[in-house]
Amino acid sequence: MATTPQAPLRLRTQRSLAHRLILSTLTGRAVRFQQIRPSSLTHTGLASHEISFLRLLEAVTNGSQIVIGITGTELLYKPGLITGSAPGSGASGGVIRHELPADCIRGVSYFLIPLCLLAPFSKAPMNVLFTGPGVITSATPSGDMSADSVRTAILPLYAQFGITNNIELRILRRSNPNTSGKGGAGEVQLVFGHQVRLPKTVHIMNPGRVKKIRGVAYCTGVSASNNARMIEEARGVLNPMTGDTYIFSDVSSAPYPTSRDKAYSNDKGKTGLGFGLSLVAESSTGSLYSADLASPPAGGVPPEDIGRQCAYQLLESISFGGAVSLAAAPTVLTLMAMGSEDVGRLQLGKDVLRSDSIIGLARDLKAFGASAWGVRESTTELDGDVVVSVVGRGVGNVGRKIA
Amino acid sequence: MASALGKRKRRDHITDPETSNVSTADAEPTSSQALFRQHFESTFEPLPGPFARPPLVHNLDAKASDEELESDWDGFSEHGEEHADIVHYAIPVPSEVDVSKGEYKTFMSAKPPSLATKQASTAKRRKPDLTNNDESSIDAANLKKDLALQRLLKESHLLDPKSSLSLSHSGQNRHRVLDLRLQDVGSKSSVFAQQKMPLAQRKGITAKAREREELRRREAQENGIILEKATKSKKKDGSIRQRGIGAPSVGKLQGGMLKLSKKDVAQIEGPKQVARHKR
Repeated sequence: MATTPQAPLRLRTQRSLAHRLILSTLTGRAVRFQQIRPSSLTHTGLASHEISFLRLLEAVTNGSQIVIGITGTELLYKPGLITGSAPGSGASGGVIRHELPADCIRGVSYFLIPLCLLAPFSKAPMNVLFTGPGVITSATPSGDMSADSVRTAILPLYAQFGITNNIELRILRRSNPNTSGKGGAGEVQLVFGHQVRLPKTVHIMNPGRVKKIRGVAYCTGVSASNNARMIEEARGVLNPMTGDTYIFSDVSSAPYPTSRDKAYSNDKGKTGLGFGLSLVAESSTGSLYSADLASPPAGGVPPEDIGRQCAYQLLESISFGGAVSLAAAPTVLTLMAMGSEDVGRLQLGKDVLRSDSIIGLARDLKAFGASAWGVRESTTELDGDVVVSVVGRGVGNVGRKIA
Repeated sequence: MASALGKRKRRDHITDPETSNVSTADAEPTSSQALFRQHFESTFEPLPGPFARPPLVHNLDAKASDEELESDWDGFSEHGEEHADIVHYAIPVPSEVDVSKGEYKTFMSAKPPSLATKQASTAKRRKPDLTNNDESSIDAANLKKDLALQRLLKESHLLDPKSSLSLSHSGQNRHRVLDLRLQDVGSKSSVFAQQKMPLAQRKGITAKAREREELRRREAQENGIILEKATKSKKKDGSIRQRGIGAPSVGKLQGGMLKLSKKDVAQIEGPKQVARHKR
């Protein structure tokens, strides 16, 4: 890998750590993180979900080096080759089993979305099973989307890059966050079997108009009437806008944590009770806007409020404009940056572009050696939209070039 | 929410609150002016100004109410009724049509729902052309008759002489006819060919058949009739026996003993090398 050993890139703080690690792995550039929560007295250094993500990276790559400082506030990561679930690298029966710790506060989408970004460039198909007492499939208060939204709002976008085949996200067991907000006991399997040399260059310029809204209302371990109440309220908000609104209901019983840890399970052994709603609006040209909301871990919010707020959240996401919503923009922009050496264009809402995460992503990409973006006003009648031109890096799938 | 959804009614006529206010305020002083204006605008072109539209309330009614003011009885206030705002809320009722099972499968399965949603094709299915109806129907009828004739020729020998006139087969004959047709289509052997019989009997049958064939050929030759060429019965292609998996590839296993014939031994040993140079 290291033909010309470059000094590791120096980055600060834990902000968007997962995405930076992904960029490091994709570009093959070593990276050193400093000042990871240095001033926190109780949770200094890397959090448990970040450690878990590093473990996951180690499992799906070959030859990556991870060095963590004694205090946990420093991290050196030297990426290896992305092997995926190739036999002989921790995959048993073609499946990598990844256990999330019980004190994980992030939803499983925190792991899924970056992993999906790695998967098209991997050598072998990616097949990862997330289990353990920390898998939260619902949306979380920390802002993670639910696993349903990953499947319905993020994964379809890969089709525009020519990555379509054999992609599955199986939600085997649902779980909301525990009452403490930490951990659930869900089970999710990601199968990503389409590996490419380079993703296609895309020109997503036409947001279209929203023509249908779909959604999933899920509840674990609580009455199914919660679903009906959420759906009713959300439809009350959304139906005047589009007639084609349908929200599916998924009821499941409370999960039992697979590895019984007394400290994190209550006396019945059931965890992760709650309910939530995931909404996806699809436009006539295939743009997707999503919204996610789940009951807070402490409870005390009626399902009507969740349904209404989620619907408003969806409307807000649509009102930002652009062909890609804020939640999906990092994925699309990163794939464009990793594409062939050609200019791809993407129409984004101004509010999306000026959000912290996108500006941060642009800076990170530049730091990792990708070319800067060109931004101009959209020429179409939609004001408030900008067109971002992204030149691909043309590096693509290193493992595939060799193999 | 459900009750609210159900009870809402259609808004019958929607009036701009601003314009309606203007009309009520200006109705009295400018009613004659408005009439003139309306007349002017109908003959020429619309005038600029804040009062482009005639008031929605018809002015004749206003006059009538003026006359009624003189009488003792006030009557019902029509004025109020004119401005009664009848509101029917019409919110699109949630489509009661259940989303199809296919939609459920595409959205709720493990696979990401594809972007290109399949829309029910509006293109009408092409129906068979009815224009050249006559020709095709005649053709079809002819084909049918042809088939019936062919079958009659082939299967007439099976027709029961006792049952008069019916050309359909029944009972045992029907099975025989079916068997004939199957053989025509390509079945290897007749269903009625006996599978198991004593060896002597089978030998007798084949001998008799051969004898019959020889007799036929001899007579034909004597009478100068040229017959079709005799086909020699082929040897079975499967000269290499398919042996069981794991079974010995040579010889035959009998009673737990592998028996090798002389041929087998010779094959194993290979051609014998004759030493050319004797020393």
